[in-house]
Amino acid sequence: MRIHQYERLWLIGAMVLIVGFIVTITYGAVGLGITMVDDQEATLPPDDIDDDERFADPRVEQVGEDEYEAYVVAMTFIYQPDPIEVPANSEVTFYVTSRDVIHSFTVVGTNTNTMVIPGEVSVMTVEFDEPGEYGVVCNEYCGSGHHDMEGELIVHPEDEFTLTELAVDAPESVAPGDDVELEATIDNGLLEDLDVTLEAEIGDETFEEDVTVAGDGSETVTITVDGEELGEGDHDWTISVDDETESGSVTVGDEEDGGDDS
Amino acid sequence: MRTSPAKLLILIAILLVIVVELRTVLAFFDVELTVLQGIAVGIVGIALLLVWAFSPLFSESDQ
Amino acid sequence: MTDLFVDSYPKQARVVRSAFLTAYIALGIGALFGVLQALHRTDILRLVESPTYYTILTGHGVFLVITFTIFFLVGLYQWAVTDSLGRGPVDMRLTWAWYGLMSSGTLLAAIAILAGFLDDPPTVLGSELSADVLFTFYAPLQANPIFYVGLVLFVVGTWLAGADWFRTWWSWKQENPDARIPLPTFMVLTTMIMWYISSIGVAVSILAFILPWSLGLTGSLNPTLTRTLFWYFGHPVVYFWLLPAYLLWYTVLPKLSGGRLFSDPLARVVFILFILLSTPVGIHHQYLDPGISDGFKFIVMTNTMFLLLPSFLTAFTVVASMEHGARQRGGDGYFNWLQALPWRDPAFTGMSLAGVVFAFGGFTGIVNAGMNINYLVHNSLWVPGHIHTQVGTAVALTFMAGSYWLVPQLTGNRLVGRDVALVQVVLWFVGIVFMTNSMYRGGLIGIPRRSAEPQYDFDYEIAVGSIPEIRAQLAIGGVLLFVSAMLFLVLILLTAFNDDSEPIVDGTIPPALSGPEDSPRVLDDLRVWIAIALVLVAIAYAFPLANIVSRGGLFGPDIGPFPVVVETVASVLSTTDTGMYLEALVETES
Ligand SMILES: [Cu+2]
Repeated sequence: MRIHQYERLWLIGAMVLIVGFIVTITYGAVGLGITMVDDQEATLPPDDIDDDERFADPRVEQVGEDEYEAYVVAMTFIYQPDPIEVPANSEVTFYVTSRDVIHSFTVVGTNTNTMVIPGEVSVMTVEFDEPGEYGVVCNEYCGSGHHDMEGELIVHPEDEFTLTELAVDAPESVAPGDDVELEATIDNGLLEDLDVTLEAEIGDETFEEDVTVAGDGSETVTITVDGEELGEGDHDWTISVDDETESGSVTVGDEEDGGDDS
Repeated sequence: MRTSPAKLLILIAILLVIVVELRTVLAFFDVELTVLQGIAVGIVGIALLLVWAFSPLFSESDQ
Repeated sequence: MTDLFVDSYPKQARVVRSAFLTAYIALGIGALFGVLQALHRTDILRLVESPTYYTILTGHGVFLVITFTIFFLVGLYQWAVTDSLGRGPVDMRLTWAWYGLMSSGTLLAAIAILAGFLDDPPTVLGSELSADVLFTFYAPLQANPIFYVGLVLFVVGTWLAGADWFRTWWSWKQENPDARIPLPTFMVLTTMIMWYISSIGVAVSILAFILPWSLGLTGSLNPTLTRTLFWYFGHPVVYFWLLPAYLLWYTVLPKLSGGRLFSDPLARVVFILFILLSTPVGIHHQYLDPGISDGFKFIVMTNTMFLLLPSFLTAFTVVASMEHGARQRGGDGYFNWLQALPWRDPAFTGMSLAGVVFAFGGFTGIVNAGMNINYLVHNSLWVPGHIHTQVGTAVALTFMAGSYWLVPQLTGNRLVGRDVALVQVVLWFVGIVFMTNSMYRGGLIGIPRRSAEPQYDFDYEIAVGSIPEIRAQLAIGGVLLFVSAMLFLVLILLTAFNDDSEPIVDGTIPPALSGPEDSPRVLDDLRVWIAIALVLVAIAYAFPLANIVSRGGLFGPDIGPFPVVVETVASVLSTTDTGMYLEALVETES
């Protein structure tokens, strides 16, 4: 076949360029370790999401020193959890799955970006060096509310980051002579011990208690108030630990159907 | 006239395209043109092209 | 000057005119939908509610990249086969049959899409009539079955068109046993071979999975499988749009430049490379998909990079042919020959500018193909930026420019408004650069594509300029493109009715400088290339498909009745416009 001299040179140049591109990209993948979303994770049918211990309660979990895992569920037209909160100076592995149609999980302006396909779990590991806030959007058309599908990713300064959860078990009403017992359970999701001060307020009375919660453990504090001292009527209470606050109200009095008359 | 109207039209179009892309390219080198500066560059460029095309100074004597 | 095409082949000219007419109607509607989107998503003018944006977006995609491009293709190819073989089809009834099938398919799909504008769409075949699924129709999003039936009819129509051209060539070959296949016919046949190999993917996806599922015959499907089958077809379809433009660049553009094609053998090699490499690359649209291993992604990345080769070769041959033409016209010097080109001719200028934009767009394509940097731009506004430089300009502008040359030969009428036509193609060039430049910049900071309201609670971190400026630039570009498209349609319409005129156009295509005799005959042995192409496809797809099926099952990863069409849910979600709510949702009580 007759090929013009210039054309031959051009052909060689083009081949060199193409091989150059491939080498560069291969270097990025192998040398720099830029990984891709792949098939490493087992499938997860959408109907099984609620029975899956990772996704039944979408959350961020600490799995090692400066290592976290985030379990995210995408569905029309929200992400759970929202916002997703992680500390700076950490390595976070995202596990994302979809309940319904194909979405994406895209941290805006970064290369943290994956399709989220029902039946599959996407896995990505991302390093967060600096505190900051990112938008999360769905960039795969998922229906009429597609443009409303957004979330937030907050990277907190390392020393301000906690995974503390507070739950309070309180009666709705007590008989006038009984004690009011507020049972506060503090969950520490971090692997390190947590020193916190529990603050409680009921009626005019305030309490403060220092609590140490073991890493990956929980601690229950019971606050007991004499119903008579409070007096009859409704009393608002508030319990807070760090940024977590729970509140409610308890009735002391002679309502015929007083809750604790068992 | 130094060139044909068709070529002048195409030169203006290419100039506009270069101005649009130039802003992006310059930004890579930390030179940021505002929109107004971009428009100004465009207008000056087009003016120069028109002067070049129509000015008797440049016109070929053996027309 | 030879006879006009319409005089030599009046019956075939009628088919070509009909195909072009359908293409132009689609272009008009698609362009209108395009400008509506440009103004809506930039929040400059919102004529519809945001859910209806997706009806418009679906129409824009389907009418432009399916109807406009492919109807123009079949018209152009009918012309190319007839003109280069010097004979018509064996049986014109087959020709009209494929035209009829393609048209009715388009009509059905269009009805399903446009029903999205109705407040209260009728129920057809068991579900609401609408198709807000975009032209990628990723399941479990579900359209009315009519939409899928329309697509199937359309594709079958194109298959018959290919069969018609093969039959014409075969019959020609009986009369000319020793002749090489004329280059335009060679291009038509190779394009169709690529199309047969690749459109199997979408046919299987629709016929085996999506259509029965939308009719309620099967309860579930595997979304990764249908998506992979879509992209098996979705990348080669890009070349199906592009190759007719290549045909014009290789045959008509050198002639318009005043010369001849530089090398016929290289042109053949380029088209063969497209048969071989177009299909085993589709997974590069799925770099971000879970459930596909990174090894497969790596393989398609290398294939994709080699797919640059035919386009590099084309750039050389086309520019060399133009230079040759310019020198024939008296051009000289290193660059001065550019001045000698016929810039006043809208057909020439349009195709040349389209080629320039194509070269720029090629570089953004290299970015997309790079599997790691793809993560930064995937599904961002960058991607429609790329599409609009390639399909929206390299292809569309070449088709418009080609029309200025072809329509007079098909109608026997003189082109109306030659100078306006020049302004039209230049306007398109400027418009596309305005629009795509803003799309590229927007995409890099993470503005998503396919979003009615890309205005979110967070702020984009923009390095250069500002968001309002990017939006304004996008809208200006969109409006320029719309004006340009309308100008084009008006000129073609006026030309069609410009009866009392003689066209000034010479339809002959001069032979190449280096003719087919300079290339080995094996290039024309299409069976060899089909066989190699099939092997490459098998290598690239057998393992990924097997893996996807073994992971998720043929009909879904045991998900139970997977998607349920909307109306059951629509009443619950009162905030959502019932007519538009097309979401397929998981039925929980299974
Ligand atoms: Cu979504």
